[in-house]
This record gives sequence, C-alpha cells and structure tokens, in this order.
Amino acid sequence: MSDKIYRVNMKELNYRIEDVPEEWMGLGGRGLTSTVIAAEVDPECHPLGPNNKMVFAPGLLSGTIAANSGRNSLGIKSPLTGGIKESNVGGTIAGIMAKLGVKALIIEDIPEDDSTFYHIHVTKEHVTIEPCPELVGKENFEVLDAMLERYDKKVAVMTIGTPGEQRMMISNISVKDPKGKLRSHGRGATGAVMGSKKIKVITVDAEKYKETHLADPEKFKSANKVFTKALQENPISGEGLPAFGTNVLVNIINEAGGLPARNFRYGNSENAEAICGETMADNIKARGGSTTHGCHAGCVIQCSQTYNDEEGNYLASGFEYEMIWAFGANFGISDLDLIAKIDNLMDNIGVDAIETGVTFGVAAEGGLLEFEDGETVYKILSEDIPQGTPLGKIIGSGAGNVGKILGVVRVPVVKNQSIPAYEPRAIKGQGITYVTTPMGADHTAGYAVATNILNSGGYIDPLKKEGQVELSRNLQIASAAIDSTGMCIFVAFPALDDPACLPALIDMINARFGINLTGEDVTSLGARILKTEHAFNLKAGLTAADDRIPEFMKYEPLPPHNVVWDFTNEEIDAFWDF
Amino acid sequence: MHITFNAFSFARNKLKEQGIPCVNVAREIDEGTSAQDFIDELELSKKYVEAVFINGTVMPKDTVLHEGDRIALLPPGTPGSYRLILGIKEMGER
Repeated sequence: MSDKIYRVNMKELNYRIEDVPEEWMGLGGRGLTSTVIAAEVDPECHPLGPNNKMVFAPGLLSGTIAANSGRNSLGIKSPLTGGIKESNVGGTIAGIMAKLGVKALIIEDIPEDDSTFYHIHVTKEHVTIEPCPELVGKENFEVLDAMLERYDKKVAVMTIGTPGEQRMMISNISVKDPKGKLRSHGRGATGAVMGSKKIKVITVDAEKYKETHLADPEKFKSANKVFTKALQENPISGEGLPAFGTNVLVNIINEAGGLPARNFRYGNSENAEAICGETMADNIKARGGSTTHGCHAGCVIQCSQTYNDEEGNYLASGFEYEMIWAFGANFGISDLDLIAKIDNLMDNIGVDAIETGVTFGVAAEGGLLEFEDGETVYKILSEDIPQGTPLGKIIGSGAGNVGKILGVVRVPVVKNQSIPAYEPRAIKGQGITYVTTPMGADHTAGYAVATNILNSGGYIDPLKKEGQVELSRNLQIASAAIDSTGMCIFVAFPALDDPACLPALIDMINARFGINLTGEDVTSLGARILKTEHAFNLKAGLTAADDRIPEFMKYEPLPPHNVVWDFTNEEIDAFWDF
Repeated sequence: MHITFNAFSFARNKLKEQGIPCVNVAREIDEGTSAQDFIDELELSKKYVEAVFINGTVMPKDTVLHEGDRIALLPPGTPGSYRLILGIKEMGER
C-alpha cells in the first residue's frame, strides 16, 4: 500500500488521510516539508495564528535498514525568525512514521476553545484527537512516561513542556529516542507553534506497521553495505565521534580562535580544558557512563553519550558540543557536571540549548544575572520559566528580544535566531552560512560535505573572505539534499575521503523507489529546496537586509586573531546567484 | 627555544599513556625545528596527527617553528564541515 498524507485540522478536530500528490512523490524530509509550507502556508501569516501549519515528514530512506536514516523533518513558519523553518531530529519518530506509511503529517489551524490541550494519536487507519487536561503543566519526561504506560513501549512520542505551552521563543518539540530519552526538534521556536495549536503530545502507533517496501531489495542491500562500511571505516564517523562525541570540537574551535566566549567578546575560552570532549570522555570512563549512544535506530556512528556524576548517577545524554559551548564558553560555567544537569533540565522542559544559552549570555551582558552563575541559570530554568514569572517570560523570549529589553548592543543573532558555537569573524565560511541560510543563524545549514566541494579546489583561509561564499553555497546545497534523505548530516563526513560513500547513498534511494537519480539530480534537489525556502522568506517580508551579521562584529576585532566581519553587502547577496 | 604545546583527542591519550605532558605545556626545541620534526620527536604516526595548528591557524607540517609559538596537534576525527573550512584536510595533506 502506498504512503499517505495524514492531515489533522485542529479547528474542526478531525482528520483526513489523503493520497500523495504526484509532485510530492519524490520528496521526503526537508524537501517535502519546505515544499508543503511554501505551497500551503501564507508567508505573511502570523506564525502562532490559525494559518500556520506544522509538517512532519520522515526522510526518503527513513524506515529502511539504511544506516543512519532515522531523521525526521518538521516544517513551520518560525515565530522566532519570521521565515521558513526546517528542524531535523533523530529519535524513533521518522522510522515509525515511514513504516506506517505516513509520508507526512500535516497539522492545520487552531482550536476555537483554547481552554485545554490535546493529544493526537496516529495509527495506520485513524487519528484520534482528544483533550488531555491531565497532562497540562507537565514536563516532557512525565508526559513520556504517561504515553509509555498507555501504549506499546515502542510508541513514537513528540511532546512539549511548559515553555511550549506558553509559546516561548526558546521552546522545542521533544522526541523520544530508542533508549527512552529525548531528542529535540530544535531552533526556531518549534514548541511555540505546537503550543499555539494547543497540542501537548503527538503519539504514533508502533505496533501495526509494516516494513517499508523496497523496489530492488538486493541493490539496496549491497549499496547499504558499501555505505555502512564507508561510515565505519572513516576516522571521523568511525572513531572520533564515538570516542569523544561532537564535543571534541571544543579544543579544536578554541585553538582556531573561533570559540565564542563571554557573549561573543572573545574567540577563546579559559574554560575550554574544563569542558572539552577529552575531559568529558575521561569523566565518562572514570564514572561508568558510555561514550557511545545512537539517537536513532540504525545509527552506526553513535556520537551521543551517557554522562554520569561522580557517584555514577545519570546526569545527561545527547550532551553535545553546542550545548556545552553555550553554557561553558559563552556563559562561562566551568563545571561540566552542572552543565550536564542544565542539559537534562532543558530536555525535560523542552527548550533549545543554543537559543537558551545565548539568551543567558545576552542577559548577563545586560546585567540581569552574572556570567558564570550556573545556579541562577538552573533556578530560572526550573522555576521561573515553568511558572511563567515575568523573569521566565523575558528569558523565554530569546536572545534577540532580551537584547532589546535590556538595551544590549552585542546581540549575536541573525534573523533573530541565536548564532551557534562557531564565531563568524574567525570562521568566515560559517558566517556566510549564518547570514544566508533561510533558517536564521544555523550551523547545520552548511554542515554536509559533498563531492562537488572537493572539486572547487584549494585552501580557503578561514580568517579571510575569499572563496567563502562559494564554499558556503556548496555546503548548504549538500545539506539541504542530505536533510531530505532522512540521513543524519554526519553521513557526509566520509565523502571527503571515500568517493564511494555518497554514490552508495544515491543507489539506496534509487533501489528504494525504483528510480535513477544521479549525483547531479541530488545537487539540483538541494539547490531547489534552498530557492524554495528563500522565496518563501522574501514573500514573508524578509529582505537582503536580513541576510546580515550583527553590526558589532564589523567593528569589534575578535581576539586572538583580531579579525572583524568584512564582507560587503554585494558579496553576501551574490550567494543567491545560482 | 620554547614553544607552548597541546595535543588533542587520540594524540593526547597516546602521549598521556607515555607520561608525556601535552596540555598547555612549555617545551624546549632546537632552532630550525619544523612541526613535522617535532611530531617525529614525539614518535607520533599519521594515525595520531592529521594536522597542526600553529598560533591558531592550521599550517603545513613542514612549517618551521619559532620562539614563543603555540602548537597543537590534531588527530583525524574532526566532525562537521570544519575539517574542510578550517583547512585541516588541505593542510594535513601538505
């Protein structure tokens, strides 16, 4: 049986199961979510009003045995950026939706009666939409436990905590992972949109699904073998990430002078040694955690981890570089265990690690609290934000808004979304990605390395602007394509060394659907997605003036390299000449 | 002459096993020593050093070191596009 579109209307509190329109057939993940948002959402709509939609879509290869194919995409118009958003997550949702035959779950409109929240449960044949007053005011782990008690343990769960209920700009949607912990549809206030639609939790049945259909199982199997081998034998995905996690980047980015510290005043942090991946791995070894943990079934990279305290008690999992940077280097907390406690707390209430961490940096700059004061951070996150006190509402509004409230000039945002853990002045290619991606400042928008980039040739000095626009464009096109496959963007790492890696990925897509895509087709798909997203943003009222770095980065030289952002507007705008 | 020396990830573990300090330590080296000479002195194979930071920039391994330089040894395993955009792959092959 072919895949279907499941469409839920929150005003009518009903649903339809529809055939997939011809033009959406070959799309998945980000390619599908951005296409649907562009086709069905008025770009000028208020993101928290009735005309915004949520589009959840597994990738093209999700639900298959392909290694690392368990990523799910969510498309919305973002209340944080005012533009289109695709947010990508691991967990169990993508595989389960794909196996159930859900090509996309589209949620429309808002209930007329806003006195309660709803629970949506999706099965193969039906969607139920029922009020869930007993879950209102509960945080994620409690909601997760309630769902696991009610359904089969494998049920897919997507939930919001109290920040999402309050439609805060730092809120995420949290997604169950294979070990019963949480991953996040992060960035761009995804939780606020779910909260605006009065949805507390979405569950997807995992009992009655069937394996995904493969057009050519033999070809699929042999391509997956080549692909898996490329991942496992590569020093990054096969050794570096499993041993140190993404947090191996602390020392590297710090050494490069690109680790934003003290609200983007410096490119080095005195805390680097205390919070780095090597220290984290030593702690895990001594305390009996685990350096390997997959965020979704079928992951062979296992970049995630389980991090315990000195007594061996669980503190956090999915303890990533960007989170540790935000609270360790940027806000100044030197105690890795306290950062882990904050990480777990943020998972529970469902807030974005980057947006929240950068917001605390701006708040410290504005005198609302002191840099390094992790105990106050913990108190605000555990009390003020869930209770919705004025202080909680202010922090919950995100870095851009807090900067305005406190009269701060040094506000590191692009399109009102916080800049992540790589300083644009010292890593200029990353900076071009921040300003040009339709997503607002987002490192993952230019994360995937594809073969065409190798052919562009030559060394590009990260401190200089030459060659950076073309590099960023190629990285963003590759990332948009990978985000459509359901693959983790880390699968592209071996492509730098192993020419068999990406062709094997394309072979799997072809064998899954019985088609004949080429590498060029996939590149074209990536380019088309970017242009669709950019066109949506222009119609939403964003202009080239929104593709700019915060002004302070143009006149404040960043130590230790003492570099400024020196691109002209024309150089940046040339990004879209393709 | 003196340099400041750091080793990351697998190189750090390897040197620690041998009792060689490698976190922000001062080292004395001879005039004219290149980064590769220094790596050879530590008996670290390519498996442990993909690229070398000198004063915060990834440089070719045959770069001659100078008094007061800060050097960091980076093993294979840098995730993201950063291996590309910091020049780790390109300089590592030189």
